[in-house]
Amino acid sequence: MSDFQGMEDLLQDFLVEATDLLSGVDNKLVDLEKTPGDRGLLNEIFRGFHTIKGGAGFLNAAELVALCHLTENLFDKLRNGEMNVTPVLMDVILDATGIVRDMFGALERGMQPSAADPGVMARLRAALAGELTAEPAKVAAPAAPVAKPVATAASAPVGAEPDWVSLHQAVTGVVPSAPQAVPEPAAARSANDGEVAAVVNAAFGRRAGDRPGTPAPTGRRDAEKGRDNSIRVDTSRLDQVLNLSGEIGLTKNRLTSLRADILAGKSDSDTLHALDAAVSQLDLLVSDLQNAVMKTRMQPIGRLFQKYPRIARDLARNLGKDVELALVGEETEIDKTMIEDLSDPIIHLIRNAVDHGVETPDERMAQGKSGKSVVRLEARQEGDHIVIMVADDGRGMNAERLRAKALEKGLITDEEANTLDERASLNLVFLPGFSTAATVSDVSGRGVGMDVVKTNIQKLNGSIEIRSVQGKGTTFVISLPLTLAILPVLLVRLAEQHFAVPLSMVREILPIQQEDIQEVGGRATMVVRGEVMPVLPLARLLGWPQKNHPQYGVLMQSAESSFILAIDNFAGREDAVIKSLDDFRPKGVAGVTTLSNGQIVLILDMKELLGSMGDTRGVSRSSLLGNVARAA
Amino acid sequence: MSDPKMKFLVVDDFSTMRRIVRNLLKELGFTNVDEAEDGVIALQKLKSSEFDFVVTDWNMPNMTGIELLRAIRADAALKALPVLMITAEAKKENIIEAAQAGASGYIVKPFTAGTMSEKLNKIFEKMNQKAA
Repeated sequence: MSDFQGMEDLLQDFLVEATDLLSGVDNKLVDLEKTPGDRGLLNEIFRGFHTIKGGAGFLNAAELVALCHLTENLFDKLRNGEMNVTPVLMDVILDATGIVRDMFGALERGMQPSAADPGVMARLRAALAGELTAEPAKVAAPAAPVAKPVATAASAPVGAEPDWVSLHQAVTGVVPSAPQAVPEPAAARSANDGEVAAVVNAAFGRRAGDRPGTPAPTGRRDAEKGRDNSIRVDTSRLDQVLNLSGEIGLTKNRLTSLRADILAGKSDSDTLHALDAAVSQLDLLVSDLQNAVMKTRMQPIGRLFQKYPRIARDLARNLGKDVELALVGEETEIDKTMIEDLSDPIIHLIRNAVDHGVETPDERMAQGKSGKSVVRLEARQEGDHIVIMVADDGRGMNAERLRAKALEKGLITDEEANTLDERASLNLVFLPGFSTAATVSDVSGRGVGMDVVKTNIQKLNGSIEIRSVQGKGTTFVISLPLTLAILPVLLVRLAEQHFAVPLSMVREILPIQQEDIQEVGGRATMVVRGEVMPVLPLARLLGWPQKNHPQYGVLMQSAESSFILAIDNFAGREDAVIKSLDDFRPKGVAGVTTLSNGQIVLILDMKELLGSMGDTRGVSRSSLLGNVARAA
Repeated sequence: MSDPKMKFLVVDDFSTMRRIVRNLLKELGFTNVDEAEDGVIALQKLKSSEFDFVVTDWNMPNMTGIELLRAIRADAALKALPVLMITAEAKKENIIEAAQAGASGYIVKPFTAGTMSEKLNKIFEKMNQKAA
């Protein structure tokens, strides 16, 4: 049962906003380490904790309030120049920030956070008293205030009651007739928790209570779903949507009246002209509306990037490395659902860069590099794609070593190892069970990361590639479609039926000449610029009889392999609006889309089609070319 | 004086807090509420349209609540506007500062609709006295 019944809405708002705020604070802390005296930074961090504390108070999250209160006081002293930022102090602050994050976690699960680690609280108090030593353990035990209940410590106002009363008089100019006429903040706060909760419930639980007999939403599950599915949209963007739908309504009215005219037999050139103009306008408005609606789903990727500098810093410190994470292109906008799904893959890539990519300062110095390394996390839009790069300036990847490792682990055969070129060798890291770290560290190197990264990126219809120069560094390049709602497809034809295949997999289209088809190991193959590719007829994948000799091949690149999809013809590319088939989903069909002429086209899920075939190595030349080949 | 049509301006950089204050005001029957993210925006709004009451947070970027308060009191057109300060602290020096700058009232987070109502009524009473 949730500790926040009736307050779910407030809690969600708070968590969304405060989590953003905390990420900002985390980043500023990383900056603060570089410029310890920056008053502006200190002020902003102070305000961050202050704001979180204020919100937490309304949620009755006493432990969170207590922790933020201490941290905030510390920053108050720092920003006023009463204290200076020291590495020991930094550690305490970072620990405190970590606990705040944990507490958010508890809140997310619908639980009041439990008390912060008393050691950290004690160190915060010691720091406030100017007694923080390099060895926190010594301070922890004797610190007196720990024994005090945290909640009261946090909310104890500096000014006691009499001061408040007289000050209130000073403020309002009214002499209260009775002392209780002046609401005491201390009294209000010391009110019994249940009472406060009841009042807050009454204030915020309205929505659930509006309909009598409807119980308030129970459990966190519902609330959590709500949070995941909610989105913050700039009101100006919503206004644009509203505006456009209004315009479309007007144009619809125009068309309705034109239809009446035309049905009444009026078809002079003026009427037809007006019809033409109205349809063109509708065309424009609808595409504008689509764009506007799409934009409401777009969020700056900076929201995601924010949390990484801290992760990189902590990791680098643990490993004794000096790493700066540079963020570029934070304003790049990306579909909200993708932001969430990208979070873990990017963490993996950054961990990899810091752990494996970057050398220790000594190694770097020995090679004439600067001791501090820079890992760049960059996002930008390229046409209808978003490109995200994680680039380090470390040691680069050694293709030879990767091959040897894969061989040793039995992930590839001797024969395969010999045929792998540089790029293919780098891609070995995406194989499940691959890990090159000589020793398994607790941060990366369990070999579970990279293949998961690749799978997750592919789920988003994206791709990932590696560029690496030995001694200079490694760059992982993720390429993603702008949105998942619209899929650029290539329309291919088999007999009289059209099918759509995701354009992201298509590399090129080639004509298939009979003499180009060669049989290798009993399979039909084609050599494309020196590379041998299996030829898979679409008819075979669909389980159709092969009637004609396929005229064209579409060179497709999927996760595991490249192959040529043999088809009868192709009809061009189209931006398909995907309609999913909810209840009925044939194998190998990702969804359907409607062409401009009203024809319904199946969008093929190539991966599933290939999987259903079992053996993806292809068919024999004769079965591909059939009678045609024999006749030749 | 406590006309339910009164127009409030709620100033806070934390939108959750604006929503809390807005909900509390609604609870008390005041539904005509606009919001501003900091003192600068608040001042712009105050100058461009009529407001009857300002509820402002203290700690904000760009322009703090106390700076906003001073700006309001220094503006001939706005100086009579009631301003209720909200803060997380009941520090003596803060309260003195607010009093000196001419705050109409002072309320400490977290507070309930009841507390808020009392604070508002105090201010309304005083305004009525002045008007009478």
